[in-house]
Amino acid sequence: MMSVLVTGATHPVGRQLVHQLLSDARVGHVLASGRHGDPAPLPNHARLSHLPLDLTKSREVHDVLFGPARDLGVEVVVHLGRTPDPWRRGRSAHAGDVEAVRSILDLSDRHPTIRRVVILSHAVVYRVGLDLPILVTEDHPLNLDPRSPQVVRDRVEADLTACARMGLADCEIVVLRCAEALEVGTGGQLVDYLSAPLALRPLGFDPMINVATVQDLVASIDLATFGHGEGVFNIPGYDTLPLTAAADLWGTPTIPAPGRWIEAAYAWRHRLTGSRFSWGLNRQRLHFGLVLDGTRARDAFGYVPRNPVAWPRGSQRAG
Amino acid sequence: MPLHPALARAVAAALSGDEALERSDRLHFTDAGHGWDRFGLHPDYVALGNAVAGPLYDHWFRVRSEGHEHIPTTGAAVLAGNHSGTLPLDGAMVWMDVVRHTEPPRVPRPVADYFVSTLPFLSTLFARCGVVGGSRGNARALLDAGELLLIFPEGVPGIGKRFSERYQLQNWRVGHVELAIRHGAPVIPFGLVGAEEQMPQIARIPSPVGALPYIPIPATLLPLPVRYHLAYGEPIHFDATPDQADDPVVVREGARRVRDAVARLLVRGLSRREGIFT
Repeated sequence: MMSVLVTGATHPVGRQLVHQLLSDARVGHVLASGRHGDPAPLPNHARLSHLPLDLTKSREVHDVLFGPARDLGVEVVVHLGRTPDPWRRGRSAHAGDVEAVRSILDLSDRHPTIRRVVILSHAVVYRVGLDLPILVTEDHPLNLDPRSPQVVRDRVEADLTACARMGLADCEIVVLRCAEALEVGTGGQLVDYLSAPLALRPLGFDPMINVATVQDLVASIDLATFGHGEGVFNIPGYDTLPLTAAADLWGTPTIPAPGRWIEAAYAWRHRLTGSRFSWGLNRQRLHFGLVLDGTRARDAFGYVPRNPVAWPRGSQRAG
Repeated sequence: MPLHPALARAVAAALSGDEALERSDRLHFTDAGHGWDRFGLHPDYVALGNAVAGPLYDHWFRVRSEGHEHIPTTGAAVLAGNHSGTLPLDGAMVWMDVVRHTEPPRVPRPVADYFVSTLPFLSTLFARCGVVGGSRGNARALLDAGELLLIFPEGVPGIGKRFSERYQLQNWRVGHVELAIRHGAPVIPFGLVGAEEQMPQIARIPSPVGALPYIPIPATLLPLPVRYHLAYGEPIHFDATPDQADDPVVVREGARRVRDAVARLLVRGLSRREGIFT
């Protein structure tokens, strides 16, 4: 029986993962951590411990790993915690997104019971460009553009921090570069984009996008948790379609506009409403498209996306 | 709003009747779940492309083609031939010829230069018809999926060649042979006679837009109604293992074979034609 520590357990993906782990007979105990002050929607369960954890504080991370996690004999850490707001900047955001990964890997390496760390990364780490394929494999160039928003730079750094330790640490490290979950409540960029009364899109472009469901992301994390070996794996979603078709299925009218106008419009929308969608974060993929190739994850641990997005207006052909 | 697939289908039906739709309905392609493949191809847009370009194929360039039996009906393969004409109408006509004359119908995947992806509207329309950006990863993924690539190894220098250089093959790149060897795919050479005279280029000016290589200044406002003569040659199978795709000597030799085959098809086509417009 294996015990698992899940950070970011109050996020929809974390919450569903905890449920999944609790229903798995191979799992002895689940230690679920979320931010201080988060509501605690996790169930009361004899095999579940819930504790608040501020990932920006390395001492707290240390004390959880070498306190309750060691006492429970945690073997696998699933790190889902990250800054939820892409507009956040500064040292605190960096600490939550990057330094937390560094701490967890450092600590896991010398931990007496942890043998495997699964880290949730994101397709946003990939560079999108004219000279690059739309279909992205794990060796695709990363987005190292210094003009990218901090959230992108931080996620790339966190991803690379994990990759740099593969094969060198005592524990196995798995990085899952996931497609975005298109589900209300996940705080995703496309959810916010499509949930507006209308969406602005680049004039003359209709890129291919790939979106996932929480259910599929949880399935991939679950498979990676119980798998063997380490590496970087793309986790695509079930739905691959043009942006306008996605908007159509979501029930959101789109208006084509020049990029500069779109940038200004969404910056104002953020200022006025606090919305999360950032044009700077999505500019390239909403021009040229990006679709994750999940062949490696399929071959390594049998992940295949099986759950289509629950499109509000349905899909004629999905399923 | 972009053209909805149903509207594209309706326009195709109105322009060309049910035949184009019937062929596009039988196209083999890998549906990623909503009717598009992962690169953006949609059969209804193939029908639309066929319908829109049909008058050019049938009445303007009056394409005559032969050797379709050399195009494999299934599996990964690479079509490689000469490129010319200032505007990439040669690519469109070869694309159309393959869609029309293969059974079951196959849609070739033209591999376009990077700048094509920057062109508003056109880049989307091209992608719906099967065009992909010219990155190694795209080509590799398509061959892995058993698709038929359409590659012009001369690239932009081919389409931009001077009138005095017509039918002289420009620097023949070798990437298509490397891909073919790595995937165990044959290369089907083709020679296209006619396009090299369609739009003589008298000058070119530097492009004010970064992604465009240059702006051509043609001698005519419209392409001349030259007749296209398109011939496909016998498939070239490379007697090489996938590992040898990394051997520069093997790849260069393979590319020389393809280039020679295309040159022979051009010589034969030129010797047979009676005039530029006939």
